[in-house]
Amino acid sequence: MNRDRTKMLLGYLLTFLIIITLNFFIPRLMPGDPFTSLSSEEGDITVIYSEEQIERYKRYYGMDRPIAEQYIGYLKNLLKGNLGYSIYYNQEVVSILKNRVPWTVAIVICSLIISSFLGTILGSISAWFRNSKLDKILYISMVFISEVPAFLMGILLLFFMAGRWGLFPLSGGMSMFTQYSTKCEVILDILHHAILPVMTLSIAKLGEFYLISRSSMLSVMSKDYMKTARGKGLKSRRILFRHGLKNSILPVITRIFLSLGSIFGQAVLIENIFNYPGIGTLMRQGVMVRDYVLIQGIFLFVAITVLTMNFIADLIYKKLDSRVR
Amino acid sequence: MDMKGDFMGKPLLSVKNLSIEYEGASERTLAVDDVSFSLNRGECLGIIGESGSGKTSIAMAIMGILPSSAHVKGSIMYDDVNIQCLSEGERNMYRWGEIAVVFQNSLDVLNPVLTVHEQIYECIIEHTSLYKGEADRRVENLLELVGLDPQVSEHYPHHLSGGMRQKVLIAMALSCNPKILIVDEPTSSLDPWAKDEIIHLLKELQRQNNFAMIVISHEIHIISQLADRLQVMYSGCIMERGYTEDILQTPMHSYTRGFINSSPYINPYKDLWGIPSEAYSSSIRKGCPFYNRCYQRLELCSEKKPELSYVATEREIACNRGGIITILEAQDIDKTYEFNGNEILACKGCNIHIRSGETVVLMGESGSGKTTLATIISGVLEADSGQVQFLGKRVEGNNFTSQMGGIQIVFQDPFSSINEFLTVEEAIVEPLTITGIVEKDSRRHMVKLALKDVQLPYDDGFLARRCYTLSGGQRQRVALARSLIMQPKLLIADEVCSMLDPSTQANILRLLKGLQNAKGFSMLYITHDVAIAQKIADRLYVMHEGSISEENLLDIR
Repeated sequence: MNRDRTKMLLGYLLTFLIIITLNFFIPRLMPGDPFTSLSSEEGDITVIYSEEQIERYKRYYGMDRPIAEQYIGYLKNLLKGNLGYSIYYNQEVVSILKNRVPWTVAIVICSLIISSFLGTILGSISAWFRNSKLDKILYISMVFISEVPAFLMGILLLFFMAGRWGLFPLSGGMSMFTQYSTKCEVILDILHHAILPVMTLSIAKLGEFYLISRSSMLSVMSKDYMKTARGKGLKSRRILFRHGLKNSILPVITRIFLSLGSIFGQAVLIENIFNYPGIGTLMRQGVMVRDYVLIQGIFLFVAITVLTMNFIADLIYKKLDSRVR
Repeated sequence: MDMKGDFMGKPLLSVKNLSIEYEGASERTLAVDDVSFSLNRGECLGIIGESGSGKTSIAMAIMGILPSSAHVKGSIMYDDVNIQCLSEGERNMYRWGEIAVVFQNSLDVLNPVLTVHEQIYECIIEHTSLYKGEADRRVENLLELVGLDPQVSEHYPHHLSGGMRQKVLIAMALSCNPKILIVDEPTSSLDPWAKDEIIHLLKELQRQNNFAMIVISHEIHIISQLADRLQVMYSGCIMERGYTEDILQTPMHSYTRGFINSSPYINPYKDLWGIPSEAYSSSIRKGCPFYNRCYQRLELCSEKKPELSYVATEREIACNRGGIITILEAQDIDKTYEFNGNEILACKGCNIHIRSGETVVLMGESGSGKTTLATIISGVLEADSGQVQFLGKRVEGNNFTSQMGGIQIVFQDPFSSINEFLTVEEAIVEPLTITGIVEKDSRRHMVKLALKDVQLPYDDGFLARRCYTLSGGQRQRVALARSLIMQPKLLIADEVCSMLDPSTQANILRLLKGLQNAKGFSMLYITHDVAIAQKIADRLYVMHEGSISEENLLDIR
């Protein structure tokens, strides 16, 4: 038992080290550098540098030194919890992240909850009424929406629900330049802005959870214990949700945590569609201006999140399935 | 009508004309074919049969939990209600509360993510009016009742051993005091000690709670200890039905006999021989389901499906021939030899009968009259009084020994029973030559087949060898081949092994038994050796000073 745990922790540590290393090298392998960028985006104050200044800043940020030396320096700083100083924003990366991360995490978590919950319920019902009309309709529509790219879905929603019908704001995380009288209004405004991005992300993930839940429930339904439950004369609701779902949910839960990686990817695109102030828009910005330090910070954050979630998935799986304990 | 008659007259459960067909991807499989039976209050009915005979399908049909690919016809009446016609919700009132199942023990039979407690508890809450606390206590009581520590209730199914899981299944089935308990293969995955424990437990629980029970198993051992009545199933049909003890003692259907003969529990000493070939399954079935494996099939059997009908009190069988036929019957045979004025009584009032496909051993010391009796039975020697009937006709002279499908006899001494100057071919073909019943051209082929059957070489070189060049064992095989070429229905083997060395003896014995199993002839085996009798006999006659009596195989030592 203890040995297993040590093995697992070592595994995570190794993965982490590899990620840090990749994280350091990938931005530096991209063409261009932070100081030749000329574009600047709305609201942010940027500077255009002269040759002389670039030389100076390169020296200042240590970019004139050999890459191995830079790498060691990077590791040293990481140990101190210092993610560096954004070249473009002229601000600590940690504090930029602190401002942006909650927005992204909020929409990601909300849409994961919504899509996994709905997907599981629909998948289970579909499996329960296998080969019926309901099952067929659900199956086809779910396969269809899971094939529609998230950004396309986002643009469609934006176009109709915000643009044409004006139900939701067009962009941003909250209304600019408004006075709120109560805290409640702030929250409502934030929710109002979050609905479309969350909806887009949820729809993008729904098909995946539906399909997993359906196939998992189908295999559970062929098990002997489901026959036992039917033989015991229990109500269908109890057989489906207590006997069936408790078994079929295991792969769904694993998938929730495993899909965190991909959902961050989708969040990046969707945030850019809705101009949502999360790390997605931040990352785009960072990439555009080759802000190595910022990109590294974001990548590191995402990597740590995904690793942590995997770890939690392991723990929860053990808790749910008494056989793995 | 008295009380008892009325009580017996109304069965608790009656199944009528039940047919179950599974729809596969390409074809339909008939799992249960027009089965009717009933179950009285408090009794235990056994259903036995090899795997795939439809036993479990019947149980699942009674519970109404067959998969959706199954098409069910017929009615299942429980206490005057046809539960087959009820809606799913109405059926739930009968499930578990009235009829419960001890499901076949498998790793997945209990839900892996629910505790033992919850799985028993939910039945009680669903079907009884007990409150939460009372139900909790009932779960504990049930676990104690089946001999488990109540602490087991907090465990998950994978923590339990096979035997414990079986007990949990029993406790779960009894949780709502059902009137009928269906027990499906209660012991299939258990060791012998756990088996005995479960049998004992089920017996005791039935005595205490007085539920009616249907035990489904392929193990005779289990059935014989639990079931009052027994029905034997084959390929979805009931082949034989009656009291358990009677059926095990004298099976009347050739399938039942084959099944019983395959059980080491019934035959502790005897060599085991399964029923040759396999059951076939198909949805379009014509004739008797056992047709392709039956020894005594007729042309008729491939056309007509036999009905289950009474052949004796409380005994029904489904066979176009009325069950295992008696192939030979000898009654009151007397024979006296006169020798120098002295009378020697060789046989007095001997009765013997041989049924189709069985091995009867006639045992007795030298000079007790065995060979005389055997020779009379074959018709070669005439009796002073009494008569021998073979397939309903009187045996006289060589009328049956000179016939294909008649009686053949193999003697003790292969050296004198075969003319040693004949070639192997001449020796074997002799019966055909004498009787002239087979075309000349095909004789050689038949000789080769017979040699192949007795595991001798059948090349031209061997056919041309003179018999005096053969060893004792080889000669006895040649003698056997010579009998087999007449395709006898009864083979009398008179001490065929006593002149051979032990190894050859064992080989010949196994060869004989194997041939019998494959070809299905009956055999009268004459010996003075108790051990051999126990090894091969289905039934045993003991002869002493000219009189004969039938003995139980397990009683002789």
